[in-house]
Amino acid sequence: MWTDPLLQGLFWSAATIGFYAAARQLFRRLPRWWASPLLVTPLLLLVLALCLHERYSGYIQCTHWLILMLGPATVAFAVPIYEQRAVIRRQWPVLLVGVFAGSVIAMGTAWILADALGLSASMRMSLLPRSVSTPFAMTVSGDLGGSPELTAMFVVLTGLIGASLGQGLLQFLPLRTAVARGALFGMGAHGVGVATANRIGREEGSIAGLVMILAGLGNVLAAPALAYLLRRYA
Amino acid sequence: MRPLRLITRLRYALRRSRMLQIGVLLGFWLLGQGLSHLIGLPVPGGIIGMALVLALLAGGVIRPPSIHRGANWLIAEMLLFFVPAVMVVLDHRELLGLVGLKLAAAIVAGTVLVMAGTALTVDFCCRWRMRLVD
Repeated sequence: MWTDPLLQGLFWSAATIGFYAAARQLFRRLPRWWASPLLVTPLLLLVLALCLHERYSGYIQCTHWLILMLGPATVAFAVPIYEQRAVIRRQWPVLLVGVFAGSVIAMGTAWILADALGLSASMRMSLLPRSVSTPFAMTVSGDLGGSPELTAMFVVLTGLIGASLGQGLLQFLPLRTAVARGALFGMGAHGVGVATANRIGREEGSIAGLVMILAGLGNVLAAPALAYLLRRYA
Repeated sequence: MRPLRLITRLRYALRRSRMLQIGVLLGFWLLGQGLSHLIGLPVPGGIIGMALVLALLAGGVIRPPSIHRGANWLIAEMLLFFVPAVMVVLDHRELLGLVGLKLAAAIVAGTVLVMAGTALTVDFCCRWRMRLVD
């Protein structure tokens, strides 16, 4: 329907940013997980795209630059890491153990559950890195032979589901330390979880942020080795 | 005297402008991308950029107020950068059916296990370390 690619690019970029700004306002008034901008914005865009008969390839060409902004956002994490250096120095062995355990459980359960539910191999590979935040997960997924785009969507779903389930889980688990409560959200629900953890407490929030970054780094560094092992033995 | 005053003025402008700070972070990302290509590392450019900024912060070359506001903005609005990726659903209509339900089940069950496992492990380690210290 668009004759001018520049006009098309402007239209979809403006629609994405505009819907996001509106959804953020809504979330400020109504802070529930189902009103998260990450759920509302894509839903609005989907309706618009279906009405205009737009395909994913057309849409993503116009808005790929937004995904690229995850690069500078990753660089930005240097600031909170630097600010939390005292916590890191004190708790690094515990955080490393937690991130390692969480990553093994995440990949193991994704593999077993995908197998049990009869999902295709590429779906399974795309599910594996869903517990780390998107820029990391998309890299890992590409390495493993999954689809980075599908992974990005699974990551987003994991964040939403994890953040809403996490608060319920806190009431069942006998967690006595703030570090454990923070790790739960950082490992299980990355970005969305960090926002939730910040609402519970300052220490929980900063630990969640740290665990999220460590998990992403650890998984990216481990991915080439894991890809090699999977090709060899699976 | 003159160049020194120029640097001070630039630094002052940098501390006040969020846009400039975002520009600086963007620059470090591009630098990281370039380095990643040049050396052929499997690490994304963003992580190399982050390591660079972290090293400069630790060395006192950059002070946190120079990038603090830009960094906070990028992290706070990160959800926007995820949105286009979710639109892949347009090309995967099968996700709206049974396959989608299975995937949702796998994500819910997996996430609960990850959260409980991680939190219990960390809690156990924390208390074990506290006992060692006592």
